Amino acid sequence: MSWMKITGYADKFSVHPGDTIKFFVNCDGPAEYQAELVKMIHGDTNPRGPGFMEEPIKADCNATYKGVKQEIYSGSYGFVADKPQFCVESVTLQCWIWPTTPKTHPKYWKHGAQGLVTKWCDGKGYGLFLNEDGCIEFRVNDQVITTGAPVRDHAWHFVAASYDAATGEATLYHEPQVVYALDPEIAPVTKKLGTKLAYVPGTPTVIAGYCGSITDSPQAKASVPPGVLIKGHYNGKIDSPRVSSKALTRLEIETMKLGAQPGLSERRNSGPTGKLSESIVASWDFSDGIDTIAGKDKGPYLFHATIVNCPTRAMTGYNWQGQVFDWKSAPEQYGAIHFHDDDIDDARWAVSFEWKVPEGTSSKFYAAKLTSKDGDEDYIPFWVVPRVGQEQSKIAFMVPTISYMAYANEHLANNAGGAELLVYRVPIMQQQNMFLSEHREYGGSIYDTHTDGSGLCLSSRLRPILSIRPKYDHFLAQAPWQYPADLHMIYWLEKMGYQYDVITDEDVTYDGLARLENYNVVISGSHPEHNSGPQLDALHNYMQRGGRFMYMGADGWYWVHSYHPAYDGIGRGVVTEMRRCESGIRTWRADPGEYYHQGTGELGGMWRFRGRYLHTIAGTGMSSEGFDISTYYSRTPESNDSRVAWAFEGITYDEKLGNFGLVGGGAAGTELDIVDTMLGSPPHTLVVATSAGRHTEGYLLVMEDYGFNQQGLDGTQHPRVRSDIAYHETPNGGASFAFSSIAFCGSLPWNNGDNNISKLVGNVLNRFMQDGPLPAPPPAAIMHRGRADYDQPMNKARK
Amino acid sequence: MIPIPRKTTADAQRMMKVHKECIDSMKGVAGNSVLKCATPGDTTTVTGGIHEDFQLNRVLLRMRAQPAKGKLVVVCTKVEKEWRIARLSGIRGVPPEFVTDKVYDNEQDPQHDIFVMRLDEFAEFDGFPEHFREGWKRRDDFWTVT
Repeated sequence: MSWMKITGYADKFSVHPGDTIKFFVNCDGPAEYQAELVKMIHGDTNPRGPGFMEEPIKADCNATYKGVKQEIYSGSYGFVADKPQFCVESVTLQCWIWPTTPKTHPKYWKHGAQGLVTKWCDGKGYGLFLNEDGCIEFRVNDQVITTGAPVRDHAWHFVAASYDAATGEATLYHEPQVVYALDPEIAPVTKKLGTKLAYVPGTPTVIAGYCGSITDSPQAKASVPPGVLIKGHYNGKIDSPRVSSKALTRLEIETMKLGAQPGLSERRNSGPTGKLSESIVASWDFSDGIDTIAGKDKGPYLFHATIVNCPTRAMTGYNWQGQVFDWKSAPEQYGAIHFHDDDIDDARWAVSFEWKVPEGTSSKFYAAKLTSKDGDEDYIPFWVVPRVGQEQSKIAFMVPTISYMAYANEHLANNAGGAELLVYRVPIMQQQNMFLSEHREYGGSIYDTHTDGSGLCLSSRLRPILSIRPKYDHFLAQAPWQYPADLHMIYWLEKMGYQYDVITDEDVTYDGLARLENYNVVISGSHPEHNSGPQLDALHNYMQRGGRFMYMGADGWYWVHSYHPAYDGIGRGVVTEMRRCESGIRTWRADPGEYYHQGTGELGGMWRFRGRYLHTIAGTGMSSEGFDISTYYSRTPESNDSRVAWAFEGITYDEKLGNFGLVGGGAAGTELDIVDTMLGSPPHTLVVATSAGRHTEGYLLVMEDYGFNQQGLDGTQHPRVRSDIAYHETPNGGASFAFSSIAFCGSLPWNNGDNNISKLVGNVLNRFMQDGPLPAPPPAAIMHRGRADYDQPMNKARK
Repeated sequence: MIPIPRKTTADAQRMMKVHKECIDSMKGVAGNSVLKCATPGDTTTVTGGIHEDFQLNRVLLRMRAQPAKGKLVVVCTKVEKEWRIARLSGIRGVPPEFVTDKVYDNEQDPQHDIFVMRLDEFAEFDGFPEHFREGWKRRDDFWTVT
């Protein structure tokens, strides 16, 4: 069965009126496809809701286009273009490796030999490889020697090989750095090969792969360098690779481990000794430029490697001592790059069509709808965002694009057996998941592990992201999640007739407060979990100055993200980075010493452990999650407080709030936030409704909230497994309303928007969108309040 | 460890009955739990199932913890219209394969059929010392976590 013959992406998430957005389409089969721009209104096909809704818009790019197949060449590597200095007669190669998949299943998507340091193509040249049996292999033209000793995965090895053209002798060394009591000795292997090194013109020197072929096929232009198809992608770390132009002795190889360090003579020529410096072709030092996509060559030729597809850097090297944990403090211990065969930073497809967004275009959710006559279909979502100062509305919807990128092309239902434990039912996969299960080259999400099992901590938006699609139910919710779930809110804004702008995480990250300050109210998405520091700064600065905020979901402000600065030259927010450190809900866990971002050098993990508690942003923070079914809220006495009673006009006290919905069947579900004044909720926060006591056993308290593994953490037992709808005032007439459940927005479209959740949200939005400061709270509300202290007379139940 | 009872036993028969009642009651809900909706398709009040049948609860947990290789999964083949049962390969790049020809017209029924299939497929006593194998040292202990 063939899934998704049409896929595509755009060069931008966020495009200003007057600017041009380019679309890249793969059409693998149909002779032609139709492109039509649409305004997106509702993406949920659930028959209990209003159904899928889009509005075609006039655009000069709406047309029929010839179907062209485009391919993604994923897998990271470093390369130096073909240079005569690499075309040696004798050679020595050496490096440290920490392989993760030395042996793969015969059906594994990239089964076969893996290149380590190679200048080899089609039986010509030289290279160090890991062969199919997981043994180190040295190739000299079409001749091969191997130790026959499989390398241990997830362990450091020193490997080297030399070939002497004069004697025809090749020698291969494999020296494990971790040796256990019962490990056999691995002796060097020497063999007479007697061949004269020859080279295929144009063959680059490759680190973590080899030159598979050189072709002028149009698809291959998407490879780097164009037309050169890299094969044999290596999974694992490589540290300190060297190429020398003579056959070094073992002692010379040992000395060459020092690299081309200058300074051993007053002439400052490259080392490590005068004699060895004469044979250095390249001596790469990946500890220099960790925040870049270049591999620095410290040798005399400055053969800096271009690093393609953004492998993971800031990785502990063979010499990491466990004393320093921040690569910036001891970069020399972070000279390893972890390459993966499924890394992808940019699909680099040819432009299929483009659209110059007319001035005056309304700021909304849009998509390029792509269809074929055979019923194939894909959507490429994008957002028209006004320039700062040219806002079109009083209301801004902040599209959580970093969170979309974190979940981009997520594979959990297919990869992770534990997914079913998490959701408490059998996961349901859709065509997007089925396509991705076969097309690993589209890359994964930050929830996934790479195909070698290591954590995936970088995500690019320059590739088709099939999870950011309408008509897509996510296995977690068996309902829309992230992008299509945020369309529940968009449908409601449209249905109720509000004028609103849309802005994205990247706009807020790069523009700061300027991006927010001209709006009376900013509305979040249903699941703004992944955030940059500048974005959080901007939200705080906005609310400090009287801005109003509506937090429409839960599990927000959780993970530290940063956009990789090396990609700023090709657009805003192209690659986002996140590390899963010692706490928080983690589908993988970073290795020791690898908690700091390679792009910005900042400590990754949860904002909470950087001293930025989740609860400080909107007043509530993550307490629990469960994915089987949702439930409803009941009002608390605090909802009658005059500070907030206006929110419940038209809603009786005893009504069940949201015992309906398109996510889990209720407004309180999937991931839940609560008020906690010890974790940053302002002490004057009012809890106006709660779902306490109504969740299933599938809901569990977050692990960062307890220290011991213990019983009693689920929704049928633990009082913190609940969602609190909460309100608090911020200075200068600002305020925040936190609805505190990811499922919440799924109740808005119920009964075509005529329901009590819709009423509550409408009351809040109508008040928050007003010009000028909000009415001051009554004087009696101004009082001293502790954070931990709970003093009933001061926090008395209000009538 | 709780053994997985054989399908012909009274325990298994009871669990299948409870399971089916719960799944049937969840039809229409955008979500699913092995709990019984007081009003079909409405999660306002849910009881029974995993909250009251301890053995069913524990057996389901063991089934859900199966590693990816060979694990049964539901595939939506036509949005809002058709669903089928497939099996994960456990190998990166090898997609799930359909295991039956049955096409479902709702997303809940395959949940029950998979439960019944697993009663046949799962070993009764896996996880006890007599089933020790070297894989237990390398995370092949038939209990996966994310």
